[in-house]
Amino acid sequence: MTAIETRNLTKRFGDVAAVEDVTLDLTENRVHGLLGRNGAGKTTLMKLLTAQLFPTAGQMRVLGEDPRENVPVLSQTCFIQESQKYPDGFRPRDVLSIASGLYPHWDEQLARDLVGEFRLPQKRAIKKLSRGQLSAVGIVIGLASRAPLTFFDEPYLGLDVVARRLFFDRLLADFAEHPRTVILSTHHIDEVANLLEHVVLLDEGRVVIDEEAETLQSAAIEVSGRAEEVREFAAHGDVMRIQEIGGLATATVHACEGRAEQAARAAGLQVAPVSLQEYIVHRTTHATSSS
Amino acid sequence: MRYRSVIDMHFVNRMQAVGWQPIALAIAFAVVLAIGAILGAQGPEAVAGMHEGMRFNGAIFAILGPMIGYGFTSMGQYFPLALGLGVTRREFATGVSLVFLGNAVVYSVLITIGKIIEVATDGFGLHIRFFDVLYVGTGPAWQTLIQSFLVLLATMLLGAAITTVFLRFGQGFLWTAGAVLALLVVALLAGIVFLDGFGRALLDLLTMGWWSWMGVIAAIGLASAAVWLLLVRRTQVR
Repeated sequence: MTAIETRNLTKRFGDVAAVEDVTLDLTENRVHGLLGRNGAGKTTLMKLLTAQLFPTAGQMRVLGEDPRENVPVLSQTCFIQESQKYPDGFRPRDVLSIASGLYPHWDEQLARDLVGEFRLPQKRAIKKLSRGQLSAVGIVIGLASRAPLTFFDEPYLGLDVVARRLFFDRLLADFAEHPRTVILSTHHIDEVANLLEHVVLLDEGRVVIDEEAETLQSAAIEVSGRAEEVREFAAHGDVMRIQEIGGLATATVHACEGRAEQAARAAGLQVAPVSLQEYIVHRTTHATSSS
Repeated sequence: MRYRSVIDMHFVNRMQAVGWQPIALAIAFAVVLAIGAILGAQGPEAVAGMHEGMRFNGAIFAILGPMIGYGFTSMGQYFPLALGLGVTRREFATGVSLVFLGNAVVYSVLITIGKIIEVATDGFGLHIRFFDVLYVGTGPAWQTLIQSFLVLLATMLLGAAITTVFLRFGQGFLWTAGAVLALLVVALLAGIVFLDGFGRALLDLLTMGWWSWMGVIAAIGLASAAVWLLLVRRTQVR
């Protein structure tokens, strides 16, 4: 079943199109990566899908229905946003207490465990928490809510590497036990590469990539060797980027279902895989430079 | 019943929920008591003048500050959090309306009890007026109950409406509204100064009957509620 369905979804703020003509179908019970540069429209798209913003044009269906003013949909949807503001005087325990009353699948024991693991001071005023501790509040809500549709928008800003690893481990473990649809927006693509099953890349509000993560992992290769040979090879390939240092060169080319790798090896060039993060960077840069 | 969570949000910050209102009232009351004690020593004539003059004593308005603040914070701070946690706008409006109603009931009852005690004890033995004033009614206690309830509810709804307008249209609308209000005041002053009979007519209007005044306050409350409820349905969290 499709958890999220959008057709030509558009959101404009005055002259600026934050999200433009986005058509997507995101399957339920999978981890989807929503990637893109700052200002690409990721947060706006998530705010549209959680009915915090209203679209300028297009249609959207979340868990099969229009999410606007829809209690059955919104009570099954949890949106953890890095920019979430909390009222004066609120402490983590207050936010968790209120969240527990709003999500029907809330797991209190899991919330308590996570508070301990993230060393979250429950009785300290939120405005006195560090950036990482503030992120931990969102992570605890996002995981303990067990919402069938969970959005994480840059959930671990300011978290140290140990806490980030903890988040991935807990997300994976809980996802295995309680499958649900997770939309994860992040700039730390390499850290989540193994977690993602499907990737949507936004650039300037438009969908640039809507593809299985596995396909993207092998979508490009890096070919290196003597500059002249690499240039000659690149002349016949689908090149994303070429870089020369002295007499050596490296080209990032589309894999073309393995044909590029075969040709490179036949030409005596060295071949290395391109990580998801590098591929996304190339595709985003490519899209920017060709526009 | 998810609107219960909206009510809970309003009671997290205890000072804001139930603290500042009685503190503001208590401070204003203490000041009025002190004035009563000082003037009481000036002789019966001064006391009589004070008792009559205090009919227009606005110290009771001390409670309106925290009340309008309630309206501001409900929309300014709790609305984005509530929507972030998946609350619908309708659920939010229901929860906030109940909070406003509850506050208006509790404080109008307190003011009415204060007025009954004040009248019974001849101004707490000092001939002062704090609760038995024009703004919450100098008539029977039931009038004070109705009048203070309407004033408090209208104040909270006005606060919520102003913040919603700000969220929906930004600062420009507030500046425009402020400028229009200022122009209106200038026009009234000009009318009083330059137009024969205008001042008299204005005075007649301001000294209209109690029921007419209740109608005006109710109209302000209803207009604020209408603006708030209409706009909150289209207000976005950016």
